[in-house]
This record gives sequence, C-alpha cells and structure tokens, in this order.
Amino acid sequence: MPRQRGSALQAGMTLLLACSMAQAGEWQPGWLYYGGDQGGRHYSSAQQIDRGNVSDLEVAWVFRSGDSAAYGEEMAKTSTQSTPILLPPAAGESLVYCTPFNRVIALDPASGEQRWSFDPDIDRRGDRPFRCRGVSYAEESRAAPGGHCRHRLYTSTHDRHLWAIDARDGKPCTDFGTGGKVRLYGEEGLQPGDVSNSSAPVVANGVVVTGSTVIDFARATTPRGTVMAFDSYSGKPLWQFDPLLGHAASGSANVWAPMSVDAANGLLYLPTSAASPDYYGVDRPGDGLYANSVVALDLYSGAVRWYFQHVRHDLWDYDTPAQPILFEWRKDGQHIPALAQLTKQGFVFVFNRLTGEPLWEITEQPVPPSQIPGERASLTQPKPIAPPQLLNPFLMPGDAWGLTPWDRGDCAAQLAALDNLGLFTPTSENLTLMYPGSLGGANWGGGALLGDSGMLLVNVNNVAFTGQLIPTATDLAPEEEKQDHPAAGHRMRVTMKGTPYDIEIGSLQSFLGIPCNPPPWGKLVAVDLLKGTIAWETALGSVHEMGPVTAPFHIEWGTPNLGGGIATAGGLFFIGATMDRQFRAFDVSNGATLWQYTLPVDAAATPMTYQYRGRQYVVVNAGGHHMFQRGTGDYLYAFALPTTGAKP
Amino acid sequence: MTIKPPAGIIRAFFPGVPTMRMHTAAVALALLAPLAQAGTLTVKNPQGQPLSPVMVTRTLVQQPEADLSDDGYAPDGVTNTSAAVLTRFTNAAGEVSFADASEPVRYRLRAQGYVDAYVDAAQGEVVLQPMTAEQEIASYPSNVWLSQLDFGGDQALKETFQLNCAFCHQQASPFMRSERTEEQWVSIIERMNTYGARLPTDDHQKVASLLREEYRDLREHPEQVPKPRPWDAYLANYELTEWPIGDGFSQMHDFLVHPNGFIYIGDNLFDRIYQLDPETGEYTVYKVPHDEDMGLGGIMGNRFKVFPKMYNYMGVHSFAYSKKDGNIFITPSMQQALLEFDIKTKQFITHEMPEGYYPHTIRVDDQDRVWFTLALSSQVAMFDRTSKTFTVYDLPARGVKEWFILKSLPVLFSIDPENRPNPSPDREGTGLPMPYGIDITPDGKVWVARLYANDLAMIDPETEEVTMIDFPYKGPRRLRADADGNLWIVAFQDSLLVKYDPAKKAFSSWELPVINEVPYALNVDRERGVVWVNGNQSDTILAFDIAAESWEVFPMPRQRFFTRDIEISEEDGAVYTTNSHFPTWQSEGGVPTLLRITPLEN
Repeated sequence: MPRQRGSALQAGMTLLLACSMAQAGEWQPGWLYYGGDQGGRHYSSAQQIDRGNVSDLEVAWVFRSGDSAAYGEEMAKTSTQSTPILLPPAAGESLVYCTPFNRVIALDPASGEQRWSFDPDIDRRGDRPFRCRGVSYAEESRAAPGGHCRHRLYTSTHDRHLWAIDARDGKPCTDFGTGGKVRLYGEEGLQPGDVSNSSAPVVANGVVVTGSTVIDFARATTPRGTVMAFDSYSGKPLWQFDPLLGHAASGSANVWAPMSVDAANGLLYLPTSAASPDYYGVDRPGDGLYANSVVALDLYSGAVRWYFQHVRHDLWDYDTPAQPILFEWRKDGQHIPALAQLTKQGFVFVFNRLTGEPLWEITEQPVPPSQIPGERASLTQPKPIAPPQLLNPFLMPGDAWGLTPWDRGDCAAQLAALDNLGLFTPTSENLTLMYPGSLGGANWGGGALLGDSGMLLVNVNNVAFTGQLIPTATDLAPEEEKQDHPAAGHRMRVTMKGTPYDIEIGSLQSFLGIPCNPPPWGKLVAVDLLKGTIAWETALGSVHEMGPVTAPFHIEWGTPNLGGGIATAGGLFFIGATMDRQFRAFDVSNGATLWQYTLPVDAAATPMTYQYRGRQYVVVNAGGHHMFQRGTGDYLYAFALPTTGAKP
Repeated sequence: MTIKPPAGIIRAFFPGVPTMRMHTAAVALALLAPLAQAGTLTVKNPQGQPLSPVMVTRTLVQQPEADLSDDGYAPDGVTNTSAAVLTRFTNAAGEVSFADASEPVRYRLRAQGYVDAYVDAAQGEVVLQPMTAEQEIASYPSNVWLSQLDFGGDQALKETFQLNCAFCHQQASPFMRSERTEEQWVSIIERMNTYGARLPTDDHQKVASLLREEYRDLREHPEQVPKPRPWDAYLANYELTEWPIGDGFSQMHDFLVHPNGFIYIGDNLFDRIYQLDPETGEYTVYKVPHDEDMGLGGIMGNRFKVFPKMYNYMGVHSFAYSKKDGNIFITPSMQQALLEFDIKTKQFITHEMPEGYYPHTIRVDDQDRVWFTLALSSQVAMFDRTSKTFTVYDLPARGVKEWFILKSLPVLFSIDPENRPNPSPDREGTGLPMPYGIDITPDGKVWVARLYANDLAMIDPETEEVTMIDFPYKGPRRLRADADGNLWIVAFQDSLLVKYDPAKKAFSSWELPVINEVPYALNVDRERGVVWVNGNQSDTILAFDIAAESWEVFPMPRQRFFTRDIEISEEDGAVYTTNSHFPTWQSEGGVPTLLRITPLEN
C-alpha cells in the first residue's frame, strides 16, 4: 500500500511552486512537456504553419546525436522514441531530448547546434531494447534563484536511475540523491534489463514520479511494477505504489507509458499495464486490480483516488499503452475536468478526471470463456457506449484479403481454422485470432486533442495477430524472447516460465507475407469525443517499402505505426510513426495529406512544435524502431517555413 | 418464513399444492441442509421503507466437483451434480426467507431501480441504494429500448430485422446500443448471415444506417424510453430454481419434462442430452453418437468454423416422448434422421430418413406416431413406430420460384457444404417458408406454423389431407393446442399471443403484457388453462389465464435470459424453461440454466 504523507507537504510544495509553475505555463507557444502539456494533449497553439502554407515546409536543420557512430551494432536494439521539450528562457531556452542510451542533449532551437550534453553512461548489459521517450523539466523553487539546478531536468534511465541535471549546463544536481541520481527499484537481485525505463518521469509541485518497463511475459512472476515518487529537490523517497497491491502470485502491472498529472488538483494518473504472465492467468485469479487500469493517485501521498480497469483478468497483453489525456469537457453548457484514455483494444474511455465518473456510459460486454483448465476469464469486459471502437475487431473468413485469389484463399483458410469470437477471445491450445493484438489499436503514441474542440486524432494499428498456447512439455523451452511484439513476418515464441505453457504469437499473413485483414493496416482516426462519433479516418502510411522490392510509388494502404502525432492551431496534424520513412501533415478537418517528407529512417517518435524568435519549427526524432527491422539512425529533424515566408 | 396464501394465478396454476413431488423436494432440501434454520432477510430503501418485490438469488460459493474431462464437458454416461440456484422475492414487508445452507452461499439482491447488493447470509436487514437516473435507464431490459427503434417509420423493415436478428439475441441491450460505424454494423450483419440469419442483402446497408442513427438518438434522448413493467407483488409467492449445466459454449435448446421425473435437456451444439433429476440436481450426460465419417454440422455443414468449440454432428433440437414406452424422440437438425433414446437402456437409436432437411420441432400423438417439421424442405414427417417407416408431407410452395428452390434441395445438398451455393435471402424468405412449431389437437389433427410464410398447415392423419390457413399476423413461430382443441400461437414480429379456433375458423389475439416482445414459443397447461409464453427481449416468462384473459409476468433472474421452449410438469404444474441465449456467454453468468417456476408452500 502507498505510504501516506501529511497534508503539510502538499500545502507547502503547492505554495512554493505554484508561482514558478504558473510562469512556465504562460510561456507560449512552446512545448514544455513530453506530451505538450502535463495532460498529454499533444497540442500546440502555434499557427504560423497552417493548411495554406504547410506545403512550403522545408528542413530547417538536422542534428545527429552521434549514437550511430558510438554504439554501432547496439543500435539494432534501439528504438528512437524521444520527443524534445523546449525550455523556457529562464532555463536557457534550449531544445532538450534524450537518445535511446539516455544521453541528454540540449540544442539551439533555431540552428540545432549542440549546447551541452549529459551522458549517464548507463549499464547496457542485458538483452532488452534501449529507448528513451523524453525528459521532464521543472523550476525548483527551493534552489537558489539563479543558482545551479534552479532549473532542472529529470530523466529515468535504462539501468534504473532517476537523474536530476541542471537545465542550463547538463551537470548533475548534487543536492538530488547521491551525486544527482537516485537508485530506482529493480536493479538489485534482478537480471540487467529486467526492469528498465522508457517514458519520462513526471514532475509537479515538488514531486517527481517514475514508472518502469518490465518484461512481463517471460515468467509467471515478474518484478513488481512499483511506481516511485521522490522529492524533486532532494531526491528523498516520498511514496511507492504497487499496482498489484502486493499480490504475490503475479508481478508487473507496471507503468511504462507516459503518466499525466493535474497539478492544480494534485492528481497523478497512471496507465498501468498487464499483470504477469501476459497470456496465462490461472495462477492470478480475479480481476487483478490495479493492472490494465487508469489509476488516479494523490500526487503527494500515492493514495488511490479512483481507478478504472479497462481489462479484467487480462489474457491478451492489453496494457494501458497511452498517456491519459487531460482536457476540458465542454458540452451542453457543462465544463468538466476530463480524462480520455486510449487502449490497445481501440476504445476511448472518457471520465470526469476528479471523480472517475464516466462521461460516456461504460457497458459490460459479455465475452467468451477460456478453454484452458482452471482459467476463469472475466465474464464481461468494459466497453464505452461511445465513441465507437477505433477498429472493427471482427475478421471472418469471408473478409480475408489478398492481392490474388491464391493468397486471399490462403488467408480465408487460415481464418476458418482459427478460434475467433472477436475481441477478448482467450487464447487456447488452438490457434486463436488476436485482433487487435498486443500492438493495438492505440499504443504509446497516444492521441492529439485539437484544442478545446473535443476532436481527438489517433493513429491506430490495424493488423491481426494469432496466438497459440503451447504446452511446455511438448517442446524444449526456447531461449527467452526479447521482443514485446512480433516483428513483421515473425512468429514469436514467448516463454511463460512457471506456467504449463509457452505462447507463440505472430501476425496473420498469407504466404506472400501480406496481412490477411483488409487494409488499411494503419490509420489515422478523428474522434469527436463530445458527439461520441468518428468524424473521419484515413489510411496512415504507404507500404511501398515493405515488400521485397521497393515500389517506385506510394501505396497508401497504411502501415503498422509506433509513435504519435501532434495537432496545431494551424489546423494541422503532424505525424511520422509509419514504416515508410514519411513525416506527414494532415488537414485536421478531413484527413487530407497536405505535406510529407521522406526521412532517412522511420520516425517512431512523437513530434513536437514550438515558435522561437518568430519562427515555428516542427521537430521529429528519426531513428527507426528495432521491431520494424528497417534500419536505425540518430537524426533529429526540424522543419520550418522558408524564412521569407514566415509571419512575424 | 411467513408465506401468504398464493393469490390469483397461483390457485389457477397449482391447485392442490403442495404435491408429493414438492414434499419430496422440501425433504431433499432439508437433507442437503441438515443444519438448516429459517432465516429472514429484510430489504429496505434508504428511507427505511420495505422494498417489495426484491429478487433475492442464492448461489453456492463453491460449485460441486464435476467430471468435465471431455473437452470441458461430462463424458458419456458420467453423472455430475448441478448446484441449484434459488431465487425468491420479498413480500410486502420487504422480507424473504431461505433455509440455511449447509455450504457457504451468496445472495444477490436485485430490485428495479436499485443497485445490486450482495450478502453472505439471508438474515438481518439490507438497504438497497437507488440507481442514478442514468443507471436506471441503462438497466432497463432490451424490449423497452427496442420499442423505440422505428426504423425511420419502415415497419416492414423493423419486422424483417426482428425476424432475423432477434431469434438468438436480445437486440437493444447495452452491448447492442453502443456506438458503431455503419461499416461495423454491416460487418456484424454479414457475419450473422454466415451463422444462419437471413437478413436480406438489400437491407444490410439500410439496417446498419438506421441502427447507428437510432441507437445514437436513444443515447442522446434516453428520456423517450418507457419504463419497463414493474414487478408484481405476487412474485413473493414463487420460487425460481435454476440448474446450471454445460458451459459458455453450450446451447440448451429444447427439453422435455418426462413422467419418469427426470428432465431431459438437449445441448444443441455439443450433441449431448442431460438427464437431470430436479430433486437432487444430479445429471447424467448421454452423448449422441454419429457416423465416423460425418463432419461437424452434419449434412448442413459447419457454419461455426471460427468457434473454439463445437460438437454438433447431429444437432440435438426438439424432444417428445412416447406415451407407450416413454422413449424419447429427438430431432437431429443436422441430419436426415430421427433419434430415439431408449430410457431403459440409455441407448440411442437412429432412424435414417429418406428425404427432408432440418428436422425441427417434434410431437408424438396418441397413436404413438412421431410428427415433426422439416424446416428447410417445408415438409412434415411422420414416423410410424410400428412399421418404422416415414411418411413425408409436402407443404405447398408460395410460388414457382419457391417450388423450384425446394425441389432443388436434394441437388444442392449433394454438393459439398464447403462449395454449396447459398441463395440470397429476401424479405419474404422465398424458398424458406420454414414450418416451425407443431402440435396435435385432442382430435388427433396435426398443426404446423410456417414462420416465414405466415400460414398454418393442418394435416388430417386419417385422410392425409393438408389444409393451409392464412395466419393474419406475422411470425407464427411455435404453437400449442389447448384442451378444447384451440391452437395458441406466438406471432413473433407482431408481439402477440394468438388463438385459432378451428371449429369457428376464427383468430383472436392478445397484446403481450410487455412491449415489443418477440415471443419465441409457448406452451399450454391444459389442466389449468394457462398459456405460458417466452419473453426473450424482456427477460420474462409470461402467463396468460385463458379464462380470465389476464396476464402475470415472471422476471428471470439473469439478464439476457433467452428462452425457446416451455414445458409444464403434468404431475404438479411446475413450469420449466431453459436459458438458451446464443451465444450463451452473452447471458448474465455465462452459463446455460434449466429454470423452474414453482409456488412456495403455504
């Protein structure tokens, strides 16, 4: 259980920090947080670049971190997912981001020239991939004005350390922990890489909170998914929260996706993942609270304020993958502090973020039982009555898709042989359709909310997987799988040591290697949260580079995608994320592609934008993703309008 | 417990109760609960007023051990025990009593407009919390929501929708009401048609569009949804007993209350019959054999390839017993055959049939002749047990096209099911008049209802003459004869109970006591003059007193309680039905049950 803290801390920190945080919030239009704001709206009020001139965008500068040269073959284990933040003038006004190896780099926002860098020199042992989605900034009012580490950056590393460094020079804050860092749970007694970090910590009102990334599929009982909070000044531990409430027969339910915080109301929102092992729940009977949930904690004490579990007794690896989106619900004269939660299943749940009361009714969807002895799958699963699911989870033999009658027939035959009762069909010893699979639906890219309009733009994966539980007695257990999801065309054998089964997962595709479900295989969906409807959707990505030979023209059938997009007041939505090296701008009103640029490698990261010295820049980290197996890099691209075309 | 004298219909339904069987059941209950002491639970609202009726359902916390080693089911000949689930209702004082259980139990308290509560003992006082307005509207049964769908004023389209989409599922349930795109609705409709629905292709897009539009309108204006019928005070005089059998993949379709005291229930999807002793809950499973070279789905082919579990080589459908020797006759829908179950040897006998497709509902007449409908080939078959021969009666086609389709069936069925063409359905069900329900009037005449053709057929076994009679309503599904020779028929799409008086050649109809019901079947308690009707969209069973022309309504203890058959115990008048929602996992609790309605002892 979380340790309780007195209200004095809460009151004191709020008073001390309110002024500086407010000042930071007034600095516009910047990008001070990973998700644009602390509620992950992925939105900028910048509008210099708009529908009318976006086609004129050009490369303003390119920065290379040097990782490719420095780390060589280790780059194959990376995915470059970082979204930079722009520091306020008082903090040096640098553009700051992290590389997969947790190097933190500050750049000149106009030129992309490096100002400083910080290398935590992480322990790179283990097989887990390297990634860093971002760093967090706060002005620490308890530090001397103008002094070192008055303005701080926080970053959680692959090797489980939380660092505080000065935002202006990148030097560790010696008053934080030991030499600027604190050790996080997960290093002691575990194999290197068993517990790591991917998302940025959150910091608000004197509290810095970090989650973790845990291998939750390889063993029955995996490391705890403990969320830890520290004093942002000293690094002293404040509280811990175990999402599984100490239940011993399981592990994880960790928070690997970005968290959100409502600083004004002192609420922290955790997107929790599945309990271990992902696909077998006999030894963890019951719903498994607070796994697969969005959990609202008191920022200062870690006490649970409310929660919503979107998958009960998960058997599908349906982690809560995306940052909870905090926004103002404005409907029928009501103004309600709201939270929208995207899920891998392709649902959008909307709540009053102060109370947890759903703003769209949540119904109980009856779901099929499990055939595995002793497995008591939940009888129902939650489903919002609106908006609609972002993908159609039914795939019948008659829906099989192929380029020719032969591969289509192959897919139809495969589908006819699958166990397939739609979403939440438990896997069994028969080959079972997993649609959506563990890739989603939505994933960690989250969604972008178009200002206060209630229009949410979400990039969605739309590829069917299959899964099959394999009794371990029938085969020698393979070497432990290192992937979270199967790569394209790859069947992934995952151990679940301590259970009677392994699981084999792969994408459902024909002998030609083409997905069996109809395209688009990745799409962009505009959801009207207030109406509870889908306004429009369009394919996201071209498959022209996914075949054995690159086609000379784009084939917009959508691709699997990782990373998110951002919306701007200029009526634009910017996104990379696809497996075609493209960085695109869409018209938010209708989904039309207005501009695109070919990057050297895929940009599996969420972009950001800012206006600096009168010029709006759009920046995206392009370094590929190890799962895509399409090459890596260490690029940071900035785009802007030609100087002559920029409005003051 | 203080039981008030059962009022009204209880006297009509159950004269002379308690019967010997009820005494026996009470004794058995006492034996099962040797430490039993009557406890009383009082249910109140937050203002301290007694709540009545509150449905109180008692379930064993730990289910009995069972041998389910045959792919999750009991192997052939194995006996397991089903722990009975009891439901009673509070009286005007808000009180309800149960004998103490010998094992840990849990009570669920459910009342209209209140949030469910759970307690571990039926003692003391429980306060139910009222639902919010939003929760209450959301909790309404499907029928009241469905009543507000008008399909843009196209009543014919709504009837087509109900005919094809409401014979397995409750429409307008919360699950159905959720926002979907038109494409998602079309996908669902197309999938359902592969499973056996016959929504005309031309209507797919229209129905998808209207469902999206009108469900959205209902969500935005739920105030237009009428309140469901309130539960009645007389419910305190009844007990509902359920026996869960099978699992979430099963479908307990039709069943039989046999004079030997057992109930025989057919699992339509797993080729098993369950012989259940209602006094003990013990059931023995008998697995219907099939030819080794037979494929899943029999001659019909397997429509459910994507289902994880299926074992329907024969397709156990409808039951009737011989008054001569008690043997049970069963229609195997997936075969050209008739099944006979010898109740002494517990062996199945398969009587191969020379023609006809989809053996459906079955009855045995006083001459020990076995009559059943052949739903797909629009025929009625008679099996003469003496000569062991079948006589097949063709029912007339409605036109040349239908005649041609019906005559083409043998050719179509000679084609491998994988490659068999499937005629595109239209609103009239051309090619599929579908003789469905069947019964025999006291004068020996055989009566059949044709669901898609909206007509009745009468076969005179003496003359072998077939007479067709137009049915002036829509959707004659199942029918039963009363003691006076009248036919009672449910009009599925018209939500009516219909009587046909053959002597006067006159139809009469009665509105059902719940709105927008799509009644599937009925049965007549000839001795007590009561017609019992399935209420599938409203989670109810409906009882119509023929003499008084009045209704009583019995709420079912599970949501999405979809019933297709009703049987009445000749011995004591107890009323039975099965929860055969398809798929079963969509029913509350996710398991099929046999349910009995009995009056409580005075």
